[in-house]
Amino acid sequence: MFVTGASGAGKTTLLKLLFRDEEPSEGQIVIAGQNVTRLKRRGVARLRQRMGLVFQEIKFLPDMTTIDNVALAGLVAGVPRRESYRKALGLLRELGLEEKYDAGPLTLSGGEQQRVAIARALMNDPMLVLADEPTGNLDKELAEETMKIFLKIRQRGTTLMIASHNLALSQRYGTRIISLQHGCLIGDWERVKEGRR
Amino acid sequence: MALFVFGAFMVAEENLQSLFRKWGDQLQLNAYLDKALSPAQITLLQDRIQSFPEVERVHYISREQAWKDFRAALGPQSNVLEGLPEDVLPPSFEIFVKPFHRDSPLVEALASRLRKEKAVTAVEYPQESVDRLSLGILIVEWAKWAVGAILFVVTFFIVGSVVRLGIAARKDEIEIMQWVGASEELIQAPFVIEGIIQGIIGASLSLLCLWTLWLLLLDQLSIPFGLFGSPLQFIDWRDIALVVAMGGLLGASGSLFSLRRFMKTWRG
Repeated sequence: MFVTGASGAGKTTLLKLLFRDEEPSEGQIVIAGQNVTRLKRRGVARLRQRMGLVFQEIKFLPDMTTIDNVALAGLVAGVPRRESYRKALGLLRELGLEEKYDAGPLTLSGGEQQRVAIARALMNDPMLVLADEPTGNLDKELAEETMKIFLKIRQRGTTLMIASHNLALSQRYGTRIISLQHGCLIGDWERVKEGRR
Repeated sequence: MALFVFGAFMVAEENLQSLFRKWGDQLQLNAYLDKALSPAQITLLQDRIQSFPEVERVHYISREQAWKDFRAALGPQSNVLEGLPEDVLPPSFEIFVKPFHRDSPLVEALASRLRKEKAVTAVEYPQESVDRLSLGILIVEWAKWAVGAILFVVTFFIVGSVVRLGIAARKDEIEIMQWVGASEELIQAPFVIEGIIQGIIGASLSLLCLWTLWLLLLDQLSIPFGLFGSPLQFIDWRDIALVVAMGGLLGASGSLFSLRRFMKTWRG
Protein backbone atom coordinates (compact mmCIF):
# COMPACT_ATOMS: atom_id res chain seq x y z
CA MET A 1 0.00 0.00 0.00
CA PHE A 2 1.23 3.44 -0.87
CA VAL A 3 0.38 6.61 0.99
CA THR A 4 0.82 9.56 -1.31
CA GLY A 5 0.43 13.29 -1.10
CA ALA A 6 2.40 16.49 -1.30
CA SER A 7 4.83 17.52 1.41
CA GLY A 8 2.89 18.31 4.56
CA ALA A 9 -0.09 16.22 3.53
CA GLY A 10 0.30 14.02 6.59
CA LYS A 11 1.98 10.91 5.22
CA THR A 12 4.68 10.73 7.89
CA THR A 13 2.21 11.67 10.59
CA LEU A 14 -0.02 8.78 9.57
CA LEU A 15 2.86 6.34 9.87
CA LYS A 16 3.88 7.82 13.23
CA LEU A 17 0.32 7.40 14.46
CA LEU A 18 0.43 3.75 13.48
CA PHE A 19 3.54 2.99 15.49
CA ARG A 20 2.45 5.33 18.25
CA ASP A 21 5.14 7.89 17.88
CA GLU A 22 2.32 10.43 17.75
CA GLU A 23 -0.81 10.55 19.86
CA PRO A 24 -4.13 10.98 18.05
CA SER A 25 -6.21 13.94 19.17
CA GLU A 26 -9.37 11.91 18.79
CA GLY A 27 -10.63 8.63 17.40
CA GLN A 28 -8.91 5.28 17.58
CA ILE A 29 -6.36 3.28 15.66
CA VAL A 30 -7.00 -0.41 15.19
CA ILE A 31 -4.25 -2.69 13.90
CA ALA A 32 -4.95 -6.40 13.40
CA GLY A 33 -8.05 -6.09 15.55
CA GLN A 34 -6.21 -4.37 18.40
CA ASN A 35 -7.02 -0.83 19.44
CA VAL A 36 -3.51 0.56 19.77
CA THR A 37 -4.67 4.02 20.82
CA ARG A 38 -4.92 3.03 24.45
CA LEU A 39 -1.67 1.14 24.76
CA LYS A 40 0.60 2.04 27.64
CA ARG A 41 4.38 2.23 27.30
CA ARG A 42 5.01 -1.49 27.53
CA GLY A 43 2.26 -2.16 25.03
CA VAL A 44 3.71 0.35 22.59
CA ALA A 45 7.11 -1.33 22.84
CA ARG A 46 5.54 -4.74 22.13
CA LEU A 47 3.58 -3.27 19.21
CA ARG A 48 6.77 -1.93 17.65
CA GLN A 49 8.40 -5.33 18.03
CA ARG A 50 5.67 -6.66 15.72
CA MET A 51 6.34 -3.95 13.19
CA GLY A 52 9.26 -3.08 10.99
CA LEU A 53 10.22 0.54 10.46
CA VAL A 54 12.24 1.87 7.53
CA PHE A 55 12.88 5.58 7.26
CA GLN A 56 14.42 7.84 4.66
CA GLU A 57 16.87 9.06 7.27
CA ILE A 58 18.64 5.82 8.09
CA LYS A 59 20.07 5.57 11.56
CA PHE A 60 22.40 2.98 13.04
CA LEU A 61 24.27 2.53 16.26
CA PRO A 62 27.70 3.68 15.04
CA ASP A 63 29.76 1.69 17.55
CA MET A 64 28.20 -1.61 16.45
CA THR A 65 28.72 -3.66 13.32
CA THR A 66 26.15 -4.25 10.61
CA ILE A 67 25.07 -7.60 12.01
CA ASP A 68 24.90 -6.14 15.55
CA ASN A 69 22.54 -3.45 14.32
CA VAL A 70 20.30 -5.99 12.62
CA ALA A 71 20.35 -8.49 15.51
CA LEU A 72 19.48 -5.71 17.96
CA ALA A 73 15.83 -5.90 16.95
CA GLY A 74 15.73 -9.58 17.86
CA LEU A 75 17.61 -9.16 21.14
CA VAL A 76 15.27 -6.39 22.24
CA ALA A 77 12.31 -8.66 21.53
CA GLY A 78 13.77 -11.32 23.76
CA VAL A 79 15.04 -13.65 21.05
CA PRO A 80 18.06 -15.60 22.34
CA ARG A 81 21.38 -14.19 21.28
CA ARG A 82 22.48 -17.05 19.06
CA GLU A 83 19.10 -17.20 17.34
CA SER A 84 19.11 -13.42 16.77
CA TYR A 85 22.52 -13.45 15.13
CA ARG A 86 21.73 -16.51 13.05
CA LYS A 87 18.60 -14.87 11.72
CA ALA A 88 20.35 -11.54 11.18
CA LEU A 89 23.03 -13.26 9.08
CA GLY A 90 20.31 -15.02 7.09
CA LEU A 91 18.59 -11.74 6.30
CA LEU A 92 21.83 -10.08 5.29
CA ARG A 93 22.57 -13.02 3.00
CA GLU A 94 19.13 -12.73 1.46
CA LEU A 95 19.73 -9.06 0.80
CA GLY A 96 23.18 -9.64 -0.65
CA LEU A 97 25.11 -8.20 2.29
CA GLU A 98 26.54 -11.34 3.88
CA GLU A 99 30.11 -10.25 3.30
CA LYS A 100 29.50 -6.90 4.93
CA TYR A 101 28.21 -8.37 8.21
CA ASP A 102 31.12 -7.13 10.33
CA ALA A 103 31.52 -3.77 8.63
CA GLY A 104 30.54 -0.56 10.33
CA PRO A 105 27.17 0.37 8.86
CA LEU A 106 28.30 3.91 8.18
CA THR A 107 31.02 2.61 5.87
CA LEU A 108 28.37 1.13 3.55
CA SER A 109 26.92 2.82 0.50
CA GLY A 110 23.48 4.45 0.58
CA GLY A 111 21.80 1.49 -1.05
CA GLU A 112 23.55 -0.97 1.24
CA GLN A 113 22.54 1.01 4.30
CA GLN A 114 18.93 0.96 3.14
CA ARG A 115 19.10 -2.82 2.80
CA VAL A 116 20.54 -3.11 6.32
CA ALA A 117 17.65 -1.01 7.59
CA ILE A 118 15.22 -3.32 5.81
CA ALA A 119 16.94 -6.38 7.30
CA ARG A 120 16.55 -4.86 10.77
CA ALA A 121 12.89 -4.17 10.06
CA LEU A 122 12.34 -7.82 9.10
CA MET A 123 14.08 -9.38 12.10
CA ASN A 124 10.96 -10.22 14.08
CA ASP A 125 8.79 -11.34 11.12
CA PRO A 126 6.64 -8.24 11.37
CA MET A 127 2.98 -8.23 10.49
CA LEU A 128 3.38 -4.70 9.16
CA VAL A 129 6.31 -2.82 7.68
CA LEU A 130 6.09 0.95 7.62
CA ALA A 131 8.45 2.73 5.26
CA ASP A 132 8.66 6.50 5.08
CA GLU A 133 10.17 7.69 1.80
CA PRO A 134 12.49 4.66 1.66
CA THR A 135 13.75 5.57 -1.78
CA GLY A 136 13.93 9.31 -1.19
CA ASN A 137 17.72 9.43 -0.99
CA LEU A 138 18.38 6.77 -3.63
CA ASP A 139 18.96 7.08 -7.33
CA LYS A 140 16.54 5.50 -9.80
CA GLU A 141 18.41 2.23 -10.05
CA LEU A 142 18.71 1.77 -6.30
CA ALA A 143 15.11 2.82 -5.83
CA GLU A 144 14.01 0.06 -8.22
CA GLU A 145 16.24 -2.41 -6.39
CA THR A 146 14.69 -1.42 -3.07
CA MET A 147 11.18 -1.77 -4.41
CA LYS A 148 11.97 -5.30 -5.60
CA ILE A 149 13.01 -6.17 -2.07
CA PHE A 150 9.74 -4.76 -0.80
CA LEU A 151 7.85 -6.88 -3.28
CA LYS A 152 9.54 -9.97 -1.89
CA ILE A 153 8.52 -8.86 1.61
CA ARG A 154 4.94 -8.52 0.47
CA GLN A 155 5.04 -11.98 -1.03
CA ARG A 156 5.81 -13.38 2.44
CA GLY A 157 2.47 -12.09 3.57
CA THR A 158 3.71 -9.01 5.38
CA THR A 159 1.60 -5.91 4.92
CA LEU A 160 3.63 -3.05 3.55
CA MET A 161 2.73 0.60 3.90
CA ILE A 162 5.00 2.98 2.04
CA ALA A 163 4.72 6.74 2.33
CA SER A 164 6.04 8.36 -0.80
CA HIS A 165 5.51 11.45 -2.91
CA ASN A 166 6.86 9.52 -5.91
CA LEU A 167 3.69 8.97 -7.92
CA ALA A 168 5.43 6.95 -10.62
CA LEU A 169 6.71 4.47 -8.07
CA SER A 170 3.34 4.16 -6.40
CA GLN A 171 1.52 3.63 -9.66
CA ARG A 172 4.01 1.01 -10.73
CA TYR A 173 4.23 -1.00 -7.54
CA GLY A 174 1.23 -0.09 -5.45
CA THR A 175 -1.66 -2.54 -5.07
CA ARG A 176 -3.56 0.08 -3.14
CA ILE A 177 -2.91 3.79 -3.09
CA ILE A 178 -4.39 6.25 -0.63
CA SER A 179 -3.94 9.92 -1.17
CA LEU A 180 -3.78 12.55 1.55
CA GLN A 181 -4.16 16.31 1.50
CA HIS A 182 -3.94 18.52 4.58
CA GLY A 183 -4.29 15.45 6.78
CA CYS A 184 -7.46 14.24 5.08
CA LEU A 185 -8.06 11.22 2.89
CA ILE A 186 -8.92 12.41 -0.60
CA GLY A 187 -8.51 9.23 -2.58
CA ASP A 188 -8.32 5.47 -2.22
CA TRP A 189 -7.50 3.30 -5.22
CA GLU A 190 -7.15 -0.41 -5.27
CA ARG A 191 -5.54 -2.22 -8.16
CA VAL A 192 -7.68 -5.03 -9.62
CA LYS A 193 -6.74 -7.55 -12.28
CA GLU A 194 -8.81 -5.92 -15.02
CA GLY A 195 -7.51 -2.42 -14.32
CA ARG A 196 -7.56 0.34 -11.82
CA ARG A 197 -10.86 1.01 -10.08
CA MET B 1 29.78 20.12 46.56
CA ALA B 2 26.39 19.32 48.07
CA LEU B 3 27.67 16.08 49.51
CA PHE B 4 30.83 17.82 50.76
CA VAL B 5 28.75 20.33 52.72
CA PHE B 6 26.41 17.61 53.95
CA GLY B 7 29.39 15.52 55.03
CA ALA B 8 30.92 18.52 56.85
CA PHE B 9 27.71 18.92 58.84
CA MET B 10 27.78 15.21 59.63
CA VAL B 11 31.33 15.51 61.00
CA ALA B 12 30.35 18.52 63.12
CA GLU B 13 27.26 16.74 64.44
CA GLU B 14 29.21 13.56 65.18
CA ASN B 15 31.78 15.42 67.26
CA LEU B 16 29.25 17.54 69.10
CA GLN B 17 27.29 14.38 69.92
CA SER B 18 30.50 12.80 71.19
CA LEU B 19 31.18 15.83 73.35
CA PHE B 20 27.65 15.75 74.67
CA ARG B 21 27.96 12.08 75.52
CA LYS B 22 31.29 12.74 77.24
CA TRP B 23 29.83 15.58 79.28
CA GLY B 24 26.89 13.39 80.01
CA ASP B 25 29.20 10.70 81.35
CA GLN B 26 30.75 13.29 83.59
CA LEU B 27 27.49 14.98 84.43
CA GLN B 28 27.40 15.47 88.11
CA LEU B 29 25.72 17.81 90.54
CA ASN B 30 27.52 19.24 93.53
CA ALA B 31 25.33 19.54 96.61
CA TYR B 32 26.95 21.57 99.39
CA LEU B 33 25.99 20.53 102.93
CA ASP B 34 25.41 22.29 106.23
CA LYS B 35 28.70 22.35 108.15
CA ALA B 36 26.90 21.40 111.39
CA LEU B 37 25.77 17.97 110.14
CA SER B 38 26.91 14.98 112.14
CA PRO B 39 28.46 11.95 110.41
CA ALA B 40 25.29 9.94 111.04
CA GLN B 41 23.14 12.64 109.47
CA ILE B 42 25.47 12.81 106.48
CA THR B 43 25.24 9.05 106.02
CA LEU B 44 21.43 9.15 106.24
CA LEU B 45 21.25 11.94 103.68
CA GLN B 46 23.66 10.16 101.37
CA ASP B 47 21.57 6.99 101.49
CA ARG B 48 18.38 8.93 100.79
CA ILE B 49 19.88 10.70 97.77
CA GLN B 50 21.33 7.40 96.52
CA SER B 51 17.81 6.01 96.53
CA PHE B 52 16.61 8.67 94.04
CA PRO B 53 15.78 6.94 90.71
CA GLU B 54 17.88 9.44 88.72
CA VAL B 55 20.98 8.99 90.81
CA GLU B 56 23.71 6.55 89.80
CA ARG B 57 26.02 7.12 92.77
CA VAL B 58 26.84 9.65 95.45
CA HIS B 59 30.37 10.47 96.50
CA TYR B 60 30.93 12.28 99.81
CA ILE B 61 33.66 14.91 100.03
CA SER B 62 34.53 15.92 103.57
CA ARG B 63 35.69 19.40 104.49
CA GLU B 64 39.24 18.15 104.83
CA GLN B 65 39.15 16.47 101.44
CA ALA B 66 37.62 19.58 99.87
CA TRP B 67 40.43 21.66 101.33
CA LYS B 68 43.04 19.24 100.01
CA ASP B 69 41.47 19.21 96.54
CA PHE B 70 41.24 23.02 96.50
CA ARG B 71 44.94 23.38 97.40
CA ALA B 72 45.86 20.85 94.70
CA ALA B 73 43.80 22.73 92.11
CA LEU B 74 45.54 25.99 92.92
CA GLY B 75 48.91 24.33 92.52
CA PRO B 76 51.80 26.80 93.01
CA GLN B 77 49.34 29.54 94.06
CA SER B 78 48.12 27.49 97.03
CA ASN B 79 50.19 29.67 99.40
CA VAL B 80 47.43 32.29 99.21
CA LEU B 81 45.46 29.95 101.47
CA GLU B 82 48.01 30.36 104.29
CA GLY B 83 46.32 31.46 107.47
CA LEU B 84 42.87 30.17 106.49
CA PRO B 85 41.31 27.39 108.59
CA GLU B 86 41.23 24.01 106.89
CA ASP B 87 37.53 23.55 107.61
CA VAL B 88 36.47 26.74 105.83
CA LEU B 89 35.00 24.77 102.93
CA PRO B 90 31.71 22.96 103.46
CA PRO B 91 31.31 19.21 102.97
CA SER B 92 29.56 18.21 99.75
CA PHE B 93 28.14 15.35 97.74
CA GLU B 94 29.20 14.69 94.15
CA ILE B 95 26.03 13.21 92.69
CA PHE B 96 26.38 11.29 89.39
CA VAL B 97 23.25 11.09 87.24
CA LYS B 98 22.17 7.94 85.40
CA PRO B 99 22.62 8.15 81.59
CA PHE B 100 18.97 8.23 80.61
CA HIS B 101 18.22 10.97 83.12
CA ARG B 102 20.71 13.45 81.71
CA ASP B 103 18.21 15.62 79.86
CA SER B 104 18.32 19.19 81.01
CA PRO B 105 14.74 19.30 82.43
CA LEU B 106 15.32 16.10 84.41
CA VAL B 107 18.60 17.35 85.82
CA GLU B 108 16.92 20.64 86.78
CA ALA B 109 14.14 18.69 88.52
CA LEU B 110 16.72 16.67 90.47
CA ALA B 111 18.51 19.87 91.48
CA SER B 112 15.20 21.30 92.72
CA ARG B 113 14.55 18.22 94.84
CA LEU B 114 18.03 18.43 96.33
CA ARG B 115 17.58 22.11 97.16
CA LYS B 116 14.49 21.18 99.17
CA GLU B 117 16.63 19.02 101.49
CA LYS B 118 17.21 21.02 104.67
CA ALA B 119 20.77 19.86 105.03
CA VAL B 120 21.66 20.99 101.48
CA THR B 121 22.69 24.61 101.36
CA ALA B 122 23.41 24.93 97.62
CA VAL B 123 23.33 22.87 94.44
CA GLU B 124 25.50 23.48 91.37
CA TYR B 125 25.64 21.76 87.98
CA PRO B 126 26.76 22.82 84.48
CA GLN B 127 23.19 23.47 83.31
CA GLU B 128 23.96 26.29 80.93
CA SER B 129 26.72 24.38 79.20
CA VAL B 130 24.56 21.29 78.81
CA ASP B 131 21.67 23.39 77.48
CA ARG B 132 23.87 25.19 75.00
CA LEU B 133 25.48 22.03 73.76
CA SER B 134 22.15 20.32 73.41
CA LEU B 135 20.78 23.29 71.47
CA GLY B 136 23.92 23.44 69.38
CA ILE B 137 23.55 19.82 68.37
CA LEU B 138 19.90 20.36 67.46
CA ILE B 139 20.79 23.38 65.33
CA VAL B 140 23.56 21.49 63.55
CA GLU B 141 21.24 18.58 62.87
CA TRP B 142 18.47 20.77 61.47
CA ALA B 143 20.94 22.80 59.47
CA LYS B 144 22.44 19.62 58.09
CA TRP B 145 19.11 18.43 56.74
CA ALA B 146 17.85 21.85 55.65
CA VAL B 147 21.02 22.80 53.81
CA GLY B 148 21.36 19.25 52.56
CA ALA B 149 17.82 19.30 51.16
CA ILE B 150 18.34 22.62 49.38
CA LEU B 151 21.68 21.55 47.96
CA PHE B 152 20.23 18.19 46.99
CA VAL B 153 17.45 19.83 44.97
CA VAL B 154 19.85 22.27 43.32
CA THR B 155 22.30 19.50 42.52
CA PHE B 156 19.46 17.33 41.22
CA PHE B 157 18.64 19.92 38.57
CA ILE B 158 22.29 20.55 37.74
CA VAL B 159 22.86 16.82 37.33
CA GLY B 160 19.71 16.70 35.24
CA SER B 161 21.00 19.43 32.92
CA VAL B 162 24.32 17.70 32.48
CA VAL B 163 22.60 14.39 31.84
CA ARG B 164 20.28 16.05 29.31
CA LEU B 165 23.30 17.18 27.32
CA GLY B 166 24.56 13.62 27.31
CA ILE B 167 21.15 12.31 26.31
CA ALA B 168 20.84 14.85 23.51
CA ALA B 169 24.18 13.67 22.18
CA ARG B 170 22.78 10.13 22.11
CA LYS B 171 19.39 11.06 20.72
CA ASP B 172 19.81 8.84 17.66
CA GLU B 173 20.69 5.87 19.83
CA ILE B 174 17.53 6.33 21.89
CA GLU B 175 15.46 6.76 18.75
CA ILE B 176 16.77 3.53 17.22
CA MET B 177 16.07 1.62 20.41
CA GLN B 178 12.50 2.94 20.39
CA TRP B 179 12.03 1.97 16.73
CA VAL B 180 12.97 -1.64 17.34
CA GLY B 181 10.57 -1.84 20.27
CA ALA B 182 12.92 -1.60 23.25
CA SER B 183 11.07 -1.07 26.50
CA GLU B 184 11.61 2.21 28.31
CA GLU B 185 13.41 0.37 31.09
CA LEU B 186 15.87 -1.09 28.60
CA ILE B 187 16.51 2.35 27.11
CA GLN B 188 16.83 4.03 30.49
CA ALA B 189 19.01 1.41 32.17
CA PRO B 190 22.40 2.45 30.69
CA PHE B 191 21.78 6.11 31.52
CA VAL B 192 20.65 5.35 35.06
CA ILE B 193 23.67 3.12 35.66
CA GLU B 194 25.88 5.88 34.30
CA GLY B 195 24.18 8.33 36.67
CA ILE B 196 24.70 6.02 39.65
CA ILE B 197 28.39 5.58 38.82
CA GLN B 198 28.90 9.30 38.41
CA GLY B 199 27.05 9.95 41.65
CA ILE B 200 29.17 7.45 43.55
CA ILE B 201 32.36 8.89 42.09
CA GLY B 202 31.20 12.40 43.02
CA ALA B 203 30.36 11.32 46.55
CA SER B 204 33.73 9.59 46.90
CA LEU B 205 35.54 12.71 45.73
CA SER B 206 33.53 14.81 48.21
CA LEU B 207 34.50 12.48 51.04
CA LEU B 208 38.12 12.58 49.94
CA CYS B 209 38.09 16.40 49.98
CA LEU B 210 36.37 16.37 53.35
CA TRP B 211 38.92 13.90 54.71
CA THR B 212 41.78 16.07 53.40
CA LEU B 213 40.30 19.18 55.01
CA TRP B 214 39.80 17.21 58.19
CA LEU B 215 43.46 16.23 58.31
CA LEU B 216 44.52 19.82 57.68
CA LEU B 217 42.33 21.22 60.45
CA LEU B 218 42.76 18.37 62.92
CA ASP B 219 45.59 19.97 64.83
CA GLN B 220 43.80 23.30 65.25
CA LEU B 221 40.51 21.75 66.29
CA SER B 222 42.04 19.14 68.61
CA ILE B 223 43.05 21.79 71.14
CA PRO B 224 39.61 23.18 72.02
CA PHE B 225 37.94 19.76 71.90
CA GLY B 226 40.75 18.18 73.86
CA LEU B 227 40.17 20.66 76.68
CA PHE B 228 36.72 19.15 77.08
CA GLY B 229 38.18 15.67 77.07
CA SER B 230 36.52 14.60 73.83
CA PRO B 231 38.86 13.38 71.08
CA LEU B 232 37.93 14.45 67.56
CA GLN B 233 36.70 11.84 65.13
CA PHE B 234 35.73 11.64 61.48
CA ILE B 235 32.36 10.15 60.46
CA ASP B 236 32.11 6.39 60.79
CA TRP B 237 31.70 3.78 58.03
CA ARG B 238 27.92 3.83 58.19
CA ASP B 239 27.81 7.57 57.54
CA ILE B 240 30.37 7.23 54.75
CA ALA B 241 28.19 4.55 53.16
CA LEU B 242 25.18 6.86 53.57
CA VAL B 243 26.93 9.69 51.73
CA VAL B 244 28.03 7.35 48.93
CA ALA B 245 24.50 5.95 48.68
CA MET B 246 23.09 9.48 48.51
CA GLY B 247 25.50 10.23 45.69
CA GLY B 248 24.33 7.19 43.78
CA LEU B 249 20.70 8.08 44.41
CA LEU B 250 21.27 11.64 43.27
CA GLY B 251 22.91 10.47 40.06
CA ALA B 252 20.23 7.87 39.33
CA SER B 253 17.29 10.15 40.01
CA GLY B 254 18.79 13.01 38.00
CA SER B 255 19.32 10.69 35.04
CA LEU B 256 15.89 9.16 35.25
CA PHE B 257 14.13 12.49 35.58
CA SER B 258 16.00 14.02 32.63
CA LEU B 259 15.61 10.98 30.44
CA ARG B 260 11.87 10.79 30.98
CA ARG B 261 11.46 14.49 30.25
CA PHE B 262 13.64 14.18 27.17
CA MET B 263 11.76 11.20 25.84
CA LYS B 264 8.43 12.86 26.51
CA THR B 265 9.56 16.04 24.77
CA TRP B 266 11.07 14.18 21.90
CA ARG B 267 7.95 12.14 21.30
CA GLY B 268 6.08 15.42 21.06
